[in-house]
Amino acid sequence: MANEIHDGRHAKVKIECDNLSKAFHVPGQDKLLHVLDRVSLKVYENEFLVILGPGQSGKTVLLNCIAGLIEPSAGETRIDGRPITGPGPDRGMVFQRYALFPWKTVEHNVAFGMAVRGVPLKERLSMAHYYIKMVGLEGFEKAYPAQLSGGMKQRVSIARAYANDPDILLMDEPFGALDAQTRYAMEQELRTIWEKERRTVLFVTNNIEEAIYLGDRVVVMSALPGRVKTEYPIDIPAPRNYTDPAFLALRKKVSDDTELVL
Amino acid sequence: MTLSKRGMAIIAPVVSIAIFILLWGLVSLNVSADFLPSPLAVLKEGIRLFHAKISGTSLIGHIGWSLSRVLIAFGLAIVLGLPIGLYMGWSRVFEKIVSPIFEVLRPIPPIAWIPIAILWLGVAEGSKIFICFVGAFVIMILNAYTGMRYVDPLLIDAAKSFGATRTQQFINVAIPACMPSIFAGVQNALSMSWMCVLAAEMVGARQGVGFIIIQGMDLNKPSMILVGMVIIGIVGSLLAAALRWIERLLCPWRRELV
Repeated sequence: MANEIHDGRHAKVKIECDNLSKAFHVPGQDKLLHVLDRVSLKVYENEFLVILGPGQSGKTVLLNCIAGLIEPSAGETRIDGRPITGPGPDRGMVFQRYALFPWKTVEHNVAFGMAVRGVPLKERLSMAHYYIKMVGLEGFEKAYPAQLSGGMKQRVSIARAYANDPDILLMDEPFGALDAQTRYAMEQELRTIWEKERRTVLFVTNNIEEAIYLGDRVVVMSALPGRVKTEYPIDIPAPRNYTDPAFLALRKKVSDDTELVL
Repeated sequence: MTLSKRGMAIIAPVVSIAIFILLWGLVSLNVSADFLPSPLAVLKEGIRLFHAKISGTSLIGHIGWSLSRVLIAFGLAIVLGLPIGLYMGWSRVFEKIVSPIFEVLRPIPPIAWIPIAILWLGVAEGSKIFICFVGAFVIMILNAYTGMRYVDPLLIDAAKSFGATRTQQFINVAIPACMPSIFAGVQNALSMSWMCVLAAEMVGARQGVGFIIIQGMDLNKPSMILVGMVIIGIVGSLLAAALRWIERLLCPWRRELV
């Protein structure tokens, strides 16, 4: 297994994307839209990696390739050195539009992954309750998603991903639909949860502050075609603060470098 | 506020029905009773028919005949139409095989099946149930199919991301996700088969609400015709209400129903 020196630590490569390319047919036109162009990427075990990019930089497609929901046109993704063949319970996903099942209560949404794997009802509910508590939704076990606010729905979604006990969490702009206040709160909460329950996280966003606040490392992508442009290690110690001079300096540097209007 | 809301829920329908009957009564006062009998005359006729026998069967018996035809046909339409429609929306291959046939059969109104149904199955129960079935079956397939086609792909992706198999995606995600359109289909299918039973009963039946209406026409008794029509309306709306109640029971997550 590939072990490399990363950030001065001896870290294991968890996910490796090797020259991933993806092109889609444009409906009604005789040309291809190149969404991903030879993207190579390494994610280390228990690292919080943020992929930062503008719209159409293919970051969601990249995430879906790693999830196994989309097949790349060329290149491959390896997890623990093995090429992926499709989705699997080793990866948990959190979607921007929550993707909760409206007919299931919070506890049954959270227990869904375990139900798929055939975990007995009692066991999966008690696990679900643990993770519902972890995301601060105790008391809402029997509520339906329609009864929850956006922030609460995304908490359920995070609990659902965690409860299936994956090695890797794939998060696709999970806080993109939330208002600014809720967004800050959720960023803090996610970081706290992750400090307690370390997983390899791949977090996609178009928000520089969010990227710097959350990431151990930020990979910046450019748009059309999506390419890896540059990356930044974030060594601001936790707890991070959005108004900290070091934070603001890095934020300025990233936005100057990347010319992202954000 | 809550009390007045609840009060409204009871008072509003009573008032609107009262106004309707009042208007009916006013119109009937100004025309001949052979043209439009008054509400009271219809009520009296209803009571008379309730105690009499119409060609050997009581009024309740006639309603029972119509209902049992509808419910058998409707049940068959659900049992056969629902799986076909759902699977048509799920599997591209199955859709390609079935939809050409379905698209040709779909525009044929159920009433158009009456002659051939009588030829095949005779004037007895078979043909009547068949016609109600055809009407409900087509609607059931159509709603299940479109419901399935419009299932949010994101929910399927979410299920996939947890490693759900194709079958698990279908049973545990796609089918519950189309419950709203399935229920819309069930409602429409029921009213369609209720509509069809009357048409079928007007063509050579000895029992059923449709027969009462035809009997009223033959006897030149408009009040008897109207009794039949009022019964159709009442029974139909009770059936619809029963279905809504079942839907609320089966879909507790749908707040818009409560």
